[in-house]
Amino acid sequence: MDMPPKRRPGELIFNVAIMLASLFLLYSAYGISGFEALSSPGVIPMATTAIMAIAGVFILRDTLRKGRGDQSLRRDILPAVVVVPIVMILGYALLLRPLGFLPTSALFLFILVRFLSRRSWGFCLAVALGTVIVIWAIFRLIFAVLMPQGIVPEGRIVAFITSLF
Amino acid sequence: MDILSNLLMPLLNLELLFLIGAGTFAGIYVGAIPGLSVTMAVSILISFTFSWEVYPALALMIGIYMGGVYGGSRTAILLNIPGAPSAIATALDGFPLAQQGRAGEAIGIVTVVSFIGGFIGIFALGAFAPLLSDFAIGFQPRDFMLLAIMGILLVGSLSGDSLVKGVFAGAFGIAIGAVGMDPLTIQDRFVFGIDELRGGISFVAVMIGLFGVSEALIQMHSIHSPAVRQRVAGIIPSWAKVRKHLPLGLQTSTIGTIVGALPGTGGDIAALMAYDHAKRVTRNPETPFGKGAVEGLVAPETANNAAVGGAFIPMMTLGIPGDAVTAIMIGALFIHGLNPGPMLMIEQPDMFWFIVGSLALANCFMLLFGLTGIRLFVKIVELPRTVLLPVIMVLSIVGAYAINNSLTDVYWMLGFGILGYFMRLYGYPLAPIILGVILSRLLDDNWRRAIISEREDFGAMMMGIFTSPLSLCLFLAVVMILVTNTPWWVRWRARKATGQTVAERQDHD
Repeated sequence: MDMPPKRRPGELIFNVAIMLASLFLLYSAYGISGFEALSSPGVIPMATTAIMAIAGVFILRDTLRKGRGDQSLRRDILPAVVVVPIVMILGYALLLRPLGFLPTSALFLFILVRFLSRRSWGFCLAVALGTVIVIWAIFRLIFAVLMPQGIVPEGRIVAFITSLF
Repeated sequence: MDILSNLLMPLLNLELLFLIGAGTFAGIYVGAIPGLSVTMAVSILISFTFSWEVYPALALMIGIYMGGVYGGSRTAILLNIPGAPSAIATALDGFPLAQQGRAGEAIGIVTVVSFIGGFIGIFALGAFAPLLSDFAIGFQPRDFMLLAIMGILLVGSLSGDSLVKGVFAGAFGIAIGAVGMDPLTIQDRFVFGIDELRGGISFVAVMIGLFGVSEALIQMHSIHSPAVRQRVAGIIPSWAKVRKHLPLGLQTSTIGTIVGALPGTGGDIAALMAYDHAKRVTRNPETPFGKGAVEGLVAPETANNAAVGGAFIPMMTLGIPGDAVTAIMIGALFIHGLNPGPMLMIEQPDMFWFIVGSLALANCFMLLFGLTGIRLFVKIVELPRTVLLPVIMVLSIVGAYAINNSLTDVYWMLGFGILGYFMRLYGYPLAPIILGVILSRLLDDNWRRAIISEREDFGAMMMGIFTSPLSLCLFLAVVMILVTNTPWWVRWRARKATGQTVAERQDHD
C-alpha cells in the first residue's frame, strides 16, 4: 500500500499564493473588456484565469488534505546550495551592465564554483577564466551575440583578433 | 526532383552538414549529462542563433534534438540516472545490464535500435505529413482551437502527478502568452501600466527560466552525489541480435511515431508506453524485465527516437507542437518570421523536405557517434556538476540577454526560473506552460475567428462542432481526456478491475 502523500514545507503558502494570484489575474482580465462580446480581447484571458483560479481551489483542497511531512524548509526546499545561486544570479543581473559581461561572468563563476566545490582558489580561478574565455569566444565570435561591454574594451580585442587573420 | 534536391541539401551543403554533425554530437552529450536537457539546450540556442539564417539555425537544433533523445540512454545505462525524461524506461533494464558488466553491449544495441526507430519516425513524417497538411487546409478555426486545447490538456494530464496541476499550468501558459497589446484591437492585456509589458513577455526568457535555471536549481540538491564509474567494452552488436529484436522494434517504433505525433506528447510518454507494450508481448525474455532484459532497452529506445519524427508531423502540418522541443522550434520559426501550419507546408515545401533530410542525416550521425568515442564520453559525463551548473547559469543569463539585448528579459528569466523551481518542487508539470505560451496566440485567434464567423452565437458554434465529424472527434477527445483523469473515473476503473479479478477467481474455482 502506498503511503499517503505528505505536504512539503512551504507548499501550503505557495498554493495559497498561486490561488490569490490567479484571482487577482482574473479580476485584471475582467477589466480588459468585461463581458462586452464573446470575441472581445478579454475573453480568453478571463477564461484561462478563471480556470487557473478554479484549479487553484482544487489544488489548495488537495494540499490541505495532505498530512504534514517531516521535511524542513531549510534542508529540503531552500538549502544554501539553492539560495546562494539565486542571490548570485540577481547580483549578476545587476552588475552585468556596469561591469560588463567578461568580469561579471568570471566573478560569478569563481565565487559559485568555489562555494559549491570547495576546491582550491587556483582551480576555481582557472575554471572561471577558462570557461568565460571559451563562452565569449563561441558566442561573441561565432554566434555574434553582443554582450554589455562594461569596463573591458571588447571591441578593440575583437578588432585585434580579426586583424590577425 | 525538387523534393530530392531539398532532401539532399543538408548533405551537399558543407556548412549545414557540419552544423547537423556538430549538433548531433553536442546533443548526445547534452542528453547524456544529467542536469542538461535537450529542451534547455534548444531554448538557450534560440537566442544565440537569432541572427542566423533559418536553415543553419534549424540544422543545429535538429541535430541537438536527435542526438539528445538518444544521449539520455547513455547515462541511464551507465549511472542509472536518465539523462532525459525519455530515457526513464531505459534505466530499468539498462542499468542492471551495466551492473552485470554488459554496459557496452547495452549501449551498442540501444544505438542501433534508436537508429532504426529514428528512421521509422522520419519515414512517417515524410509519408504522412504532406497528406495531413492537404487535409488540414480544410480545418475550421474551431478545429485549431480544439486541437490547441487538446495538446495542452494531453501534456498536462500525462506529464504531472495530478491533472488539476497540469490544467493550471496550461492555463497559466496561455495567460502568459496573452500579456501585452492585443494584436487585433491594440488593447492592453495584463500590462498593469508597465511599458515593458506592452510588447509581451519574451517566451524565450520564459523557456530558459523554466527549463534552464529551475532545472539547474533542482540539480543543486544532489550536487555532491558521487560519480559512478563503469567499464565499457564490445559496443557493436551482432546482426543476429539486432534481427532477433527487429519485430518488437518495429512495433514499438510505430507506437513511438503515433504517440509523438499526438499534439503535446513526446518521447518520454512514447518510451513508457512502448516499455509496457514490450512487457505484455514478450512471452519468454532471456532475462526477466527489470533485471536486464534486452527487450526492455529495445522498446523505449526505438519508441523515443521514432517519436522525434512523429513530433514534427503536427508541428509542420498544423503548427501545433508534438512536444516541448518542437514547441520551442515553432518559437524559433516565429522569430524567423515564419508561421508553421498547413500554409507553410504548401508555400514553402522546400523547408519541410529540408527538415526531413536534416533529421535523416542527424540520425546517421547519431549512429556514427553512438558507436564510437565512448571513452571520451565516459570522461565528459564525469564532469563535476559543481562546475557544470554554474556554467549553465551563465549560459542561461547570456541567452536571455541576447534575445533583445535587454536586462528586462534576464529578470523575467530569473523570475520564471525561481517560480519554476518551486513549481517543480510542489509537483506542477512545466511542459504545459510552454505549450500554453506557444499556443496562446493560436487559441485566441481561432476562438475569435470561430465565434465571429457564427455572429457571436455560442450555440451556433457548438452546433457547428456537433455537426462536423472532425470537430466532433476533437471535441470528444478533449472531453475524454478530462473525464478519464477525474478521480471518479479512476475509482470506477479500479472497481471494475477488482470486479473482474473476483469474477475470474470464481470461474477458476
